[in-house]
Amino acid sequence: MIQKKVCMLGTYAVGKTSLVSRFVRSLFAEKYHSTVGVKVDKKVVAVGEEQMNLLLWDLYGEDDFQKLRTSYLRGSSGYILVVDGTRHETLEKAVILQNRAREAVGATVPFVLALNKADLADKWEVEDSAVEELVKQGWPTFKTSAKTGAGVEQMFLTLARRMAGLST
Amino acid sequence: MDAFVGKGNGADETAPVAAPDPIEELRRLLLVAEHSQVAKIQERLDDPEIHAEDVSRVLPEAIALRATKDRDLTRAMLPTVEEAILSSVRKDPHVLVDALFPVMGPAIRKAISSALASMIESLNETLEKSFSVQGLKWRWEAWRTGKPLPEIILLRTLVYRVEQVFLIHRKTGLLLQHVSATSGGVQDADMISGMLTAIRDFVHDSFGGSREDSLDSFRVGEFTVRIEQGPQAVLAAVIRGNAPPELRSTLTRAIEAIHLEQGEALANFEGDATPFERSRPHLEECLKTQQRSRAERGAGARSRRAIAFLRGALAVLLIGIAVWSFFAIRRSRRWNAYLERLAGEPGIAVIGSGRRGGRYFVRGLRDPLAVDPVAMLAESKLSRESVSSDWKPYQALVPEFIAARARDVLEPPRTVTLTAGDGKVMATGSAPHRWIEEARARSRAFAGLARYDDARLADDDGRELEALSKAIEGRPISFDLASAELRPEESDTLATLSRDLSRLAQLAAAVGRTVRVEVIGRGDSSGTPEANLAISRLRAERVARALSSTQESGVTFAARGVGSSEPLRPEIDEKDRELNRSVTLRVLVEGGPGRSVTR
Repeated sequence: MIQKKVCMLGTYAVGKTSLVSRFVRSLFAEKYHSTVGVKVDKKVVAVGEEQMNLLLWDLYGEDDFQKLRTSYLRGSSGYILVVDGTRHETLEKAVILQNRAREAVGATVPFVLALNKADLADKWEVEDSAVEELVKQGWPTFKTSAKTGAGVEQMFLTLARRMAGLST
Repeated sequence: MDAFVGKGNGADETAPVAAPDPIEELRRLLLVAEHSQVAKIQERLDDPEIHAEDVSRVLPEAIALRATKDRDLTRAMLPTVEEAILSSVRKDPHVLVDALFPVMGPAIRKAISSALASMIESLNETLEKSFSVQGLKWRWEAWRTGKPLPEIILLRTLVYRVEQVFLIHRKTGLLLQHVSATSGGVQDADMISGMLTAIRDFVHDSFGGSREDSLDSFRVGEFTVRIEQGPQAVLAAVIRGNAPPELRSTLTRAIEAIHLEQGEALANFEGDATPFERSRPHLEECLKTQQRSRAERGAGARSRRAIAFLRGALAVLLIGIAVWSFFAIRRSRRWNAYLERLAGEPGIAVIGSGRRGGRYFVRGLRDPLAVDPVAMLAESKLSRESVSSDWKPYQALVPEFIAARARDVLEPPRTVTLTAGDGKVMATGSAPHRWIEEARARSRAFAGLARYDDARLADDDGRELEALSKAIEGRPISFDLASAELRPEESDTLATLSRDLSRLAQLAAAVGRTVRVEVIGRGDSSGTPEANLAISRLRAERVARALSSTQESGVTFAARGVGSSEPLRPEIDEKDRELNRSVTLRVLVEGGPGRSVTR
C-alpha cells in the first residue's frame, strides 16, 4: 500500500487537529486543545483502484511564540493549509506558510486550502475576492467545517488524488 | 604510410602543371580506395572530438594494460584523484559519506572489536565465576516462590528483548518495514514510525548541531527505543530491559546491509513499501531475545550437579535450623524475661541491650544498693558467659534507697523511723536530744538528694525534763499554822524533790540549759495579809535554803512569798487551808539553742 506523509499547516486555533479528528474518527470536540509539537494520525483512503495510507502530521499552530520548524515538512507528499474563515488574518498567514512550505518541499508538492469553520457563517470574515484571487493562482480551495463534517472528506480526498497524480 | 602520403602530396603539386600523366592516372585508378581511406584517417586525426571518442574506446583496456606493466600511471593520476576527492568533500561531504557508509562501518567495527577482544576475554572469565553462584540463587528463588525456573531465569537474566523493529524512511518518516517479537504485533506501526520521526526531528532541531547529531535512544517506561540511522533509512528498535552495547552493532550491521542491498530503492522511495519486504530478514536478525545465554548455560550445568547435593544439604540444614531455633527461641524468651525483671528492679536502669557476635549484651546504670544484676542471671537461667554486662554505678532517687542511704549516714536509734518520699527524709518516733542535734548536722550528707525533716520527731530528753518538772511542781511542802519550820513529815518530800532536781539539772546540762527554780511560799487566808506575806516569804526561803544545800550546781533558786494572794485551792475547810499553808516549786529550764522544753 502506498503511504503518503501529509502535513497540516495553519495558524493556531484554525482547526487543524479538529479536521484530522473529523476525518479520521468522525469526531468533533467543542473544547480547544492546543497541539504541542506534532501528532501523527493515519487514515487509509481509496484513490482510484488503489488504497492509500495517509499519515497526517498535525503540526502545532504557529503563533507569536513558536515559529513552524520546516524540518517537520521534510518528505511530505502533500500539505493542507488551514484557514479560520472567521479570522481574516489567518488567510494572510496561510499565504506566508505556503511560501515557506514551497521552499522546504518544492513547488511540485500538491496542497489544498481549507477554509474552515464554515458553520460559523454569521462571523465569516474572509472576503470572497481574496479567495478567488488564490483560486485563480491554482489553489484548490475548500470550505470545510470540522464541526458538521461538511467538505472535510472531499478536501482530504482531493489532496490524495493529487498526490497520486490522478485528475481531480 | 607517411611516405605514401608524401608522394601523394607531391603528385598533387605537379598535377595542375602537366596534362594527365598516364602513370599518375594509373596510380589514381589503382589506389582510389586507399586514397579516400587516407583522407578519412587524416580527418580523424585532426578532429579532437572523434579522437576523444577513439581514446575512450581503448582507455579502460589501456589503463589496465599499463597497470600490469609498471606503476607510472598510478603516480601520474595520484595528484588528480586526490584533488578530485578534496574538491568533492569541499563541495558536499555527505556525498562521500553516503558512498562510504556501507564500508566504513564494518571496517571501524573490526578494528575496535579486535582491540577489545583481549579485554572482554578476562572480563568473561570473571563473569563465569560469579554466575555459577548466581545459578544456584535462581534455583533457590524458583523453589521458594513456586515459579518455574525458566521464568525466574528469564526475569533475572532477561537482559533485554527487542520487541519491535521499525525500518523508517528517513526523509518522509514513512514506515518501510516492521517486525515484532510478539505475534500480535502493533496496531499502528506506521503512526509510531511517524511519531518517532517527529520526535527525532524535534530533538535534532532543539539540540542537534550538525546534520549527523541526532537522537540515539530514549526511554519510555520499561522500554528503550534505540535508533540507528543510515543515510536514507532509520532503524528503530523497541527494547525491553537493558540492552548491551553489542546490540548497537547488530542494528548497525542491519542498517548497513539494507543500504547496501536496497540503496536505490531507498533513494527512489515514493510511498510504496513493498520492495522493502526484502529487508525483513535483516530486521528479524535484530529481534532476537538475548539473554546472558553463555554465562547462564555454564551456571546451569554446574548447578544441576550441585542441586542433588544441595537437596541433601538442605534437609540437614532444615533439621539443624529447627533444633537451633528451639534453643534460640528459648534463650530469647529467657533473655526477655531477664530484661523485664531488670526493668522492674529499683536502682537499675537499662540503657541498651541486644545481641552481638552471638552473645547477649546489656549495659546500664546500677545503684550500689540495688540487687546485683549479674547474680540475677542465674535466677533467669541464663549463663554468665552468654551475657556481657556493663554496669556503671549511679545513685538512684528511689525513695527506699534514699531512706537506706539516710539510715547509713544518720545511724538512728531504734526509737526513730526514717521514711523517704516527696524529696524528703522524714524522721518519726523519739530520740535523745543529742542524736537529734547530730542527725541534723549529718543530714547535710544527703542534702542534694532529699531534705531532712524531723518535725515529727520527739525529743526524749525534753520529755523527761517536762515530766520531772511536772512532778517537782506537783509536790507542795506543808507547814504548821504560823510556822516557817520544816515539818519532820515533809522530809521525804524534800528528799524526793532534791533527787528530782539533781536529775533535772543533769538533763538540762545535757541539752545545754540551766534550771531556775522559783520557790513560792504561801499562807492561808486566816491571818492578815501582811502577816501572811511575811510568813510566806520565810517559808519559801526556808525551803530554798534546804534544797539548795543538796544541789551541787546547775540549779538556781529564787524564793518569794505571795501571802494568801495565790491560793492553791479556794479555802472552804481546814484541809484547803492546810494545803495553802505551803511552799511549791516552779521549774524554769532556760537558755541554750534548740527547741524549748518549757510548757
